[in-house]
Amino acid sequence: MRRFRRFFAVLFLAAACTGRETPQLTTRAVNRVSVRPVTLFFETPQLLLGSEQRNLTLPENEAGALTPVLRELIRGSSNAAVPRSFPPDAVVRATYLMGDGTAIVDLGGATLVNGWSAGSHEELIATFSIVHTLTANFPSVKRVRILVNGQAAETLAGHVALDRSLTPLPSLLAAR
Amino acid sequence: MKRLTVLSAFVIAAVTSIVWAATASAPVNLILPSGIFPVRVVEENGELFFSADDLIKGLGGTLSNSEQAYRATVGSVEAAFGTDSKLAIVSDTMLELSRLPVVVDGTPYLPLPFFQTLAKAALRQAVSFTPADRALRLQAIASEPISPQVSVVNLQGMSKVVIQLAAAVDYSIAKDAATYTIRFKAPVRAPFGEQAYDDPHVSRILFLGSDLKIQLTAEDVAGSAYRLDNPFRIVLDLQKGVSSIQEGLVAPPRTETQPQDLPGIRTIVIDPGHGGKDVGATGLKGLLEKDATLAIAQKLSPMLSRRLNVRVILTRTGDSSVSLDERTSIANQYKGDLFLSIHLNAARTKGARGSETYFLSLEASDELARKAAERENRQVMGPTQIETATSSDLRLILWDLAQQDYLKESSHLAEVVQVEMDRASGLPNRGVKQAPFKVLVGATMPAALVEVSFISNEEDEAKLRTPEFQTSIAATLAAAIERFKKEYDARNGLGNAPPVAAKVAPAPTSSTTAPVTQ
Repeated sequence: MRRFRRFFAVLFLAAACTGRETPQLTTRAVNRVSVRPVTLFFETPQLLLGSEQRNLTLPENEAGALTPVLRELIRGSSNAAVPRSFPPDAVVRATYLMGDGTAIVDLGGATLVNGWSAGSHEELIATFSIVHTLTANFPSVKRVRILVNGQAAETLAGHVALDRSLTPLPSLLAAR
Repeated sequence: MKRLTVLSAFVIAAVTSIVWAATASAPVNLILPSGIFPVRVVEENGELFFSADDLIKGLGGTLSNSEQAYRATVGSVEAAFGTDSKLAIVSDTMLELSRLPVVVDGTPYLPLPFFQTLAKAALRQAVSFTPADRALRLQAIASEPISPQVSVVNLQGMSKVVIQLAAAVDYSIAKDAATYTIRFKAPVRAPFGEQAYDDPHVSRILFLGSDLKIQLTAEDVAGSAYRLDNPFRIVLDLQKGVSSIQEGLVAPPRTETQPQDLPGIRTIVIDPGHGGKDVGATGLKGLLEKDATLAIAQKLSPMLSRRLNVRVILTRTGDSSVSLDERTSIANQYKGDLFLSIHLNAARTKGARGSETYFLSLEASDELARKAAERENRQVMGPTQIETATSSDLRLILWDLAQQDYLKESSHLAEVVQVEMDRASGLPNRGVKQAPFKVLVGATMPAALVEVSFISNEEDEAKLRTPEFQTSIAATLAAAIERFKKEYDARNGLGNAPPVAAKVAPAPTSSTTAPVTQ
């Protein structure tokens, strides 16, 4: 049995040594996860964005962590008195981190796709809760571009321009 | 020994299959009129992945990479992908790949659909792969026929011909005597053969093959043409005595409306928020934002005409859908000197009340604007070069730069509006704020958006329904605009500028969502 083990080891070593011809898959995401604190932004009674800490199990790979963090944001605050920032059927379809620091967030759900009837305040809170949550938790995210259903969208509800990448809006943040 | 041989064979087969899971194959050939280019491939689980380096180069593009993403540029189209995500972006569209891209010896390899999408968007070419001869071929995609919709409206002595299309299309415009010919570079499915118009400038429009011919009532009728997006439209503004047609960007040249060129506040554009299918926010008792904003705007308009002797343009006068781009385009086309968008707010937080006024925040595009400025400093471009050399991003940046000239005045306008709202409306003052509101982005004039009140507050919703409250808000806004005009004229040394004569618009020849003067 020991002879067989030695044989397999030699065989694998040989395969590895002749690996110049063997393609090396170098960029598979590492599937390690860890629990880490994240900061989510929700509406405050003063109609600003206030932060809420939450511990989440997230992939250590930053690009892979964007989606679960945003899905947690869309679920809403742990304080039931805080209103939801998004329509109940809103979903995060995908996120994508670009090399220049732009996080692309693809939102979906019938309300957002078919036209959300909301005031500018509600739309500002929803849009910038995403921007502030991503930039606060991921140092490499510098700006956020929001798509709806995989397509460029004019706005979420008729006010905030989505034809450009958005950076944080400090005036919308509640004093801590 | 026999057992050992069998086991060895099994192990060798297993190892071979592991290597085969992503293995290099002989290059395939990209067949182009200019030559045959080898494209490296790898095969993973029976699917071919093509070298992005080779294939993008073959398509005449470039590929660069940063820490987390690869960026491909072919023609004016940009695409990006990462190696740990199945999602790729081609232009503004996300594409889900069947498999993750793989990197072999530093070269990224992707499934064919990525390149097919990119070639289609950038080159209008279909990419096909034939396994038998291991060849990649390009074939021009036949253009789908376009179906233009044509409308003609006469306003204030000017005829507006609007040709709307489902998607952007290349075209040229030429004038010969009393006919404009728009030649589409795509087959046309004509909505009609020929149509006559009872219009002072346009007598007839006809389709001939891919040509749309606009027959004018006289040879000296001419004007300007421009494009609008979302949906794609070609617009011709025609009037008598204009020497020749000028085709421009959606953004007018910056020099046209520099603040120092303005002779004062002569034209005021009032934008009642939302409309048509877009109802805006809804009150608890069912009041629709679009109805209340229109009611206030319609009361405000005659007040301004009377008090300030200015031309007032409403972006909509009925319950019609007007896109956000169109609202500011109207303001720009009519050379508005001031733009005020009227909205009502909503919040889920109980007890939210008050008014607030916004002007544009361009923070989001500061970095892009800087890049554009650098580019402009490196290379002085004429208008034609700008049109051909710039991507849509740069056009957006130029737009923003043009807007930036007006930010200071917009900030004054927002402040004056909010001060008046605080003084006269009896609503809590939520202050002046900045936000990247789409309707303010395109206006090349002082522009603000007032959130009159929270429609989500039951008490305020009830007030907003009453004509008395609507009139009082309109009077408050009129007072604010009057004060702004006075201060603006003083700041610009125009205190004694003569007022313009009020104009009465001729009745439109056809009913559309067109702006009107009052």
